[in-house]
Order: sequence, then structure tokens, then C-alpha cells
Amino acid sequence: MKTTDLLSFNLQLFGRHRWRTSVLIFCISLGVLSVVLLVSLGESARRYVEQEFSMLGSNLLIVLPGKKQTSGGSVPFYGTTTRDLTLADAAYIESLPGVKRVAPIIAGTAQVSFMNRSRDVMVIGSTNDFILARNMEVASGTGLPEDAAKIHRQVAILGASLAGELFAHQQPLGQMVSLDGYRFRVAGVLQDQGESLGLDLGNMLIIPVKAGEAVFNTQALFRLLIDLNDMADEQQTIDAIYALVKERHQGEEDITIITQQSVMSAFNNIMYTLTAVVGLLAAISLLVAGILIMNLSLVSVQQRRQEIGLLKAIGANRKLIVWLFVAESLMLVTAASLIGLAVAQSLVFLLAKQFPAYPIAAPLWAHSAALVVAILTALIFSFLPARQAASVSPVEVLRG
Amino acid sequence: MRIPDAFQWIKTSVLAGRSRNFLTMLGFAVGVSAVTLLAAMGESIKQFVLNEFTQFGSHIVAVSPGTDQTMGVGSILRTNRGISLDDAVSLQNLPDIEGVVPVVAGTAQVRHAGLTRATDVMGVGEAALEAWQLEVSQGRFLPADDILHSRAYAVLGSKLHRALYGETPALGSFVHIAGSRFLVVGVLSPKGQFLGMDLDEMAYIPAARAMSMFNRESLMEVDVMYRPGVTSQAVAARIRAHLIHRHGDEDFTIVTQDQMLETLDSILDVVRLAGIAIGAISLLVGSVGIYSILTITLAQRRSEVGLLRALGMKRNALVTLFLGEAVFLAILGGALGLFVVLLVQTLIWVVMPALPYLFTVTSAATGLIVSILVGLVAGGYPAFKAASLPPVTALRAE
Repeated sequence: MKTTDLLSFNLQLFGRHRWRTSVLIFCISLGVLSVVLLVSLGESARRYVEQEFSMLGSNLLIVLPGKKQTSGGSVPFYGTTTRDLTLADAAYIESLPGVKRVAPIIAGTAQVSFMNRSRDVMVIGSTNDFILARNMEVASGTGLPEDAAKIHRQVAILGASLAGELFAHQQPLGQMVSLDGYRFRVAGVLQDQGESLGLDLGNMLIIPVKAGEAVFNTQALFRLLIDLNDMADEQQTIDAIYALVKERHQGEEDITIITQQSVMSAFNNIMYTLTAVVGLLAAISLLVAGILIMNLSLVSVQQRRQEIGLLKAIGANRKLIVWLFVAESLMLVTAASLIGLAVAQSLVFLLAKQFPAYPIAAPLWAHSAALVVAILTALIFSFLPARQAASVSPVEVLRG
Repeated sequence: MRIPDAFQWIKTSVLAGRSRNFLTMLGFAVGVSAVTLLAAMGESIKQFVLNEFTQFGSHIVAVSPGTDQTMGVGSILRTNRGISLDDAVSLQNLPDIEGVVPVVAGTAQVRHAGLTRATDVMGVGEAALEAWQLEVSQGRFLPADDILHSRAYAVLGSKLHRALYGETPALGSFVHIAGSRFLVVGVLSPKGQFLGMDLDEMAYIPAARAMSMFNRESLMEVDVMYRPGVTSQAVAARIRAHLIHRHGDEDFTIVTQDQMLETLDSILDVVRLAGIAIGAISLLVGSVGIYSILTITLAQRRSEVGLLRALGMKRNALVTLFLGEAVFLAILGGALGLFVVLLVQTLIWVVMPALPYLFTVTSAATGLIVSILVGLVAGGYPAFKAASLPPVTALRAE
């Protein structure tokens, strides 16, 4: 039998059993649709976070004050220790080979007010390197002064929405705001970038780290962001930083360094597992659809005994009959999968259009995985009915 | 038609299409087990998380500094308007308050007899024992000293105790925490992990000592334990009024356990519903399977329908019969699905006995009720259609 003949033979069959065909197509496309859609959602969530992380640059190290030797490898996220990590430490680290930039951070909350309006905001005491490391941009005005880590200058850079709330239609640049009683001159306003990694960038205030020391009356840094040179060996630099801090802290290694990549890969692992599990759960529906394929094929074999008998009488062999039935399921499943994929793709497209801020996209592997699973299902579940069809004895049925 | 006869009839017709009906049931069973398993899993996760969060006692209101709670780290950021030890002391005198736990946490080296371990050190108070439902295995917890002037006593978590002391007795000996000497007065029973922090690795010391050790002027959090029988809202309102009076401004955040659980609850409900929705896709496909097979079967049995009608059977009786067949299939399928769930449950029991139950009475009942409903819906239209054929047409179908 020629392939074109096979195709037209089966197409006729679908035409005759329109109802049964549409039920199967509905079930299989629903299964494929749910697999692709759920995997796409998981993958989009992963990509969203990855994108957020990659804004930090790939060569970033994060230094946290404090160390835990405990099992489980949790980090000392409090950042509270008995011996502070200070600006002096940061300056020494900056002179290490392989280190490009060091952004010291003092983080706190304070009340910022202008005229009679005031807000409680997060205050970051840092240097221009922080703005660079977080890939933030100053929309108007200047960045922090170059000597932010050395001289206490009371200038501030406002987040976009904070500037809007405090100044409404006034020009914020050059105005004096009060920060927990200290007077700061507004030197710049950040570009509106929304939230990043759970940090509301629009609602914060950046001041020179030296001024931060004064406002919060502390020398203890909260974090240290370190940008490495592209050529630097990451592990070597990390070891060098540990050694340096140990030497400066009377022989006690009381910091923890995490790399951006380790955070990222841990997160990726979790997300991939989660996505795979959700995809597999959705694929259960394909299994159910497979059972339905088998059932309907069995019914159809029963109904078409005469036809099969005739085919065999005029010279069709077993192989051809099996192939005929398997091909029927394959055609059906392929068509249904394509419909399912198309619907999934358009839904994803619609979602992406609705939420342009998120990287919603259906990954190619989701499509191919769903297609492969659906086709495998068709093959497995139509084989038994096809075998049954092939063993129809022509003499018996034709006599009837 | 008598009821036993009806059952006989259904049995015969189900057995007549044995392989077909078995496959229908199988498909449906997979759907039912998917839904019940996912629903039960969602429920277990929810219970697990809620238990995690209520293991520290339920009559607690947490007060943390700052109103800006972005990232949920407001309490570890620096602030000039924090909550002081004096605030914590003053809260003790409010009515209906049973205990106040000032909290300061940080990392430090704990040293004993040449062994050191860098770990979490919690500055707390005597009330933490009851407020956080800690259990002492040796000695006692921190004594009820004045919060502002407390003695240098320490209580060790079980793992920290083992790491530093091994088998030698710890009570009455001294540990050095960040260079200061503390008298070990107690060792805690194992408590496990919470949010990735190992509670058994911690050392507990008085909050005032921890504040000077970590050079902090304010507390990270104050946990207020109130008398059972008083609503958390009332306590929260009282604390709010009191602290506003002291600070002149509401520069703190009060979170009651109810609020926290409510938030958690709604998040976990979404997770649970998502699980059910994913399982429901399979169930839907299984139901379509029942529907399509019944339609085909009934189309094939037209002549039988015609005969029954010609013999004088009422249309309603016929619909009931066919519906009965559909429901029977669905219930059998559902029972098969529940059996699968039961098998999975047994497997889990053998491999991981610690996990909570998946197979519960509710999940079983839900599974069966859903089965009956699906049987009624999927069987309804084909049964009605078959029964409403005029007998003559139906008989001619042969």
C-alpha cells in the first residue's frame, strides 16, 4: 500500500467516524496542551529569576559577615557578628588581584521626609559600585560622589517612586530631605526599574556608605558585593579573600562568601525538578487518553471485522493490517498534538502579551517532549488492538 | 422492573463488553487516583507547613522594628528607631501578657576545651522556653533574671552540645562565646530544622548579653506570649497603643500568629487547588472516555432498546437502567483508583514512614462522590438519547 493511499484511506475513516475522531482529538490535545502550558509556566518562572540574577553580572561574589560551621550549609543571613566587617576590610579586599570592584553595603530603615511628607524607606549606604553592580541607572542628576567610602557627604539618590511621592511635581534635584533628622541634599533620582529580586528599587534611598555609618551609628557592613575581573580565577580569589579577612580578624575566619553562580545553580535545580514534576503530573492525562485510544480502537476493530476480512481476502498481510491501525492512531495523535501545541503556543503568546514584564515563553523541549510522549502513547496503546485486527480470520467473517 | 432484576441486567450488560468496560474503568481509575493523590498531597503539604509554623506555640504576637517590611528582612536591617530592651521590659507589665521574649540573633564562635564551633547564637529570655515550646533534656533553661541585667548563662542545642562535649557532662562547665565566659545551665532536646535553620545547633544566651556581644542597640524582634482566652487582635491593639505611647509613632510592625497563618493558608490553598486542577485534567479525559464508550455501546444496542420499549418498558425506567450502568462503571473505576491510591500509600509507608497520610476518609469519600457524579453526567445524555428513540426506528436499526 502506498503512503498516499494509506493516508487517504485513514482520512476517509476519520470522515466517517467524525464523532469518535473529535473525542480523541479533544482528549489528546487537552493532554498535550496541559503539559506544554504547565512546563512553560515553570520554565518562565525560572527564566524570570535567572534574568533577575543575571542583571547582577556573572562574576559577582557576595560576602556576608559571620560564619556557620553547622551542617546543612545554611548561610548566616542575619549578618550579625561579634567582629564587624568594616570599610577598612573592604578597602583591603579591593586591592587584591582579580577584584574589579567592591561595593560595601550598610542597610537600614529610616524615615525620610520633605516638607510635611514622610515615608519609611530602606536606606542603602554604599558607593557608586553598588549602582553599577546592580545595573541600576541614574535617570537625572549624578551618582554618589567618588569618595563615598572615605568622606561623609550628606547627599542622597532617591528611588523613582519615592521621588514621585515626596516631591510630586516639584524638581527633587538639589532639594534638602531629612533622613532620621540628618539633612541630605538630593543628588540624583534612579530610573524606574520596579522590583528586583524582591527588593523594591523604586522605594529606597542610596547614600554614601560613610554617611550611612553616621546615620545608623555603626561600622558593621551588612554585605559586600565583589565584582571580579573577567580573567580572574574565582576560587583563587575567594581563597585570597578568606585568607585576608582571617589575617585582619585575629585569625578568625568569620565571613561567608557565596557566589552568584552557586545561588543560581541551586535555584535552577529546584525549578527544573519542580517543572518536571508538574509536567509529569500533567502527562498522566495523556496516559488516560492512551487508554481511551486503545478502547476506541478495540471497538473499531470489532466494527470493522468484515472490512478487515475483505482486505485480507484480497491479499493484505498481517503486517499491513497492523500498520493500518497503528497509522490511524498515529495520524490522529499527530493531528491532535499539533492542535494542542498550537493552542498552547497561542495561550502562551497571549500571556506574554498580557504580562510583558515577564519572560513567558514555551521552551522548545516542552513541545518536543509533549509530542514524543503523545506519539509513544499512540504507538503503545494502538498496538494491541492492531494485533487483534490482524488476527481476524477472513473466512469466518466473510461467511457471516 | 424489580431492583434485583435491574442489577442483574446491569451486571450482564457490563460483563458483555468486558474488555471495553475494563479499559473504560481503568482510564477513569487513573483519573480518580490522580485527583485524590494530588488533593491529598496538597493537604499534607499544607498540614506540614502549618505544623512547622505552629510548633513554636500559638499564643504569640511578634513585634518587629520598622514599618517597611520589604523582603521580610526589616528586622535585621539597621534602624535608629528600633525596639529596645526597655520596650520589651515595659511590655511585661501589660495585662494578659504571660511572657516577653526579646530576640537578637547572630553568629559567633562557641568554644569549649579546645573545640570550637561557629554557629548561631540566640539572645533570648526565660520566656522563650514556653513561648517557643522548647524542651530541656538536661539541667534547665535560662533563669528568670531581670531582662536588663541577666547572668552569663548559656543553654546549648542538642547538636551543638554533642559537637563540643561529646559524652562528657556539660552542666556546670563554661563555654566561651565570642571570648566571653558563659556557664552552661542546660541542654535542649532535639527540635529539628525550621526554614533551613538548624535549631539544634544554636546556643541560647540572655538577650542583654547578646546585644553587647553583637554591638546592637535594638532588638530584632520581640515575641509576646499572651494568656489563652484573649484574642490576638485585642493583644495586638494593646501592644500597639503601648508602643506608640512610648515611641510617639508607629514605627514597628505587629504580626499575630492568626495573620501569619491566614497568609500561609491562602498561599497553600492555591498550591492545593493547582494540584487538584492538574489532576482534574486526567479525570476530565477519563470522563470523556466513559461518555464516548457509553455512546458507542448504546448506539450498538439500539435494537435491544427498541425491543424493551416495544415490550412496554417505560422510557424513565430505561434511562434509569442505562444511567445505572454508567454509574456502576464509574463507581467501579473510582474504587479501582482509590485502590491504587491505597497501594501508593502502603508503598510510602514502607519507604518513608514519616510522611503524612495521603489516603484519608475524606479523600476516599471525595473520590467516590466525584465518580458517581461523573457517571451521572457522562451517562446521562447517551442514556436519554437511546431511550427517546421511537421503538420502531430502534427495532429497524438491525
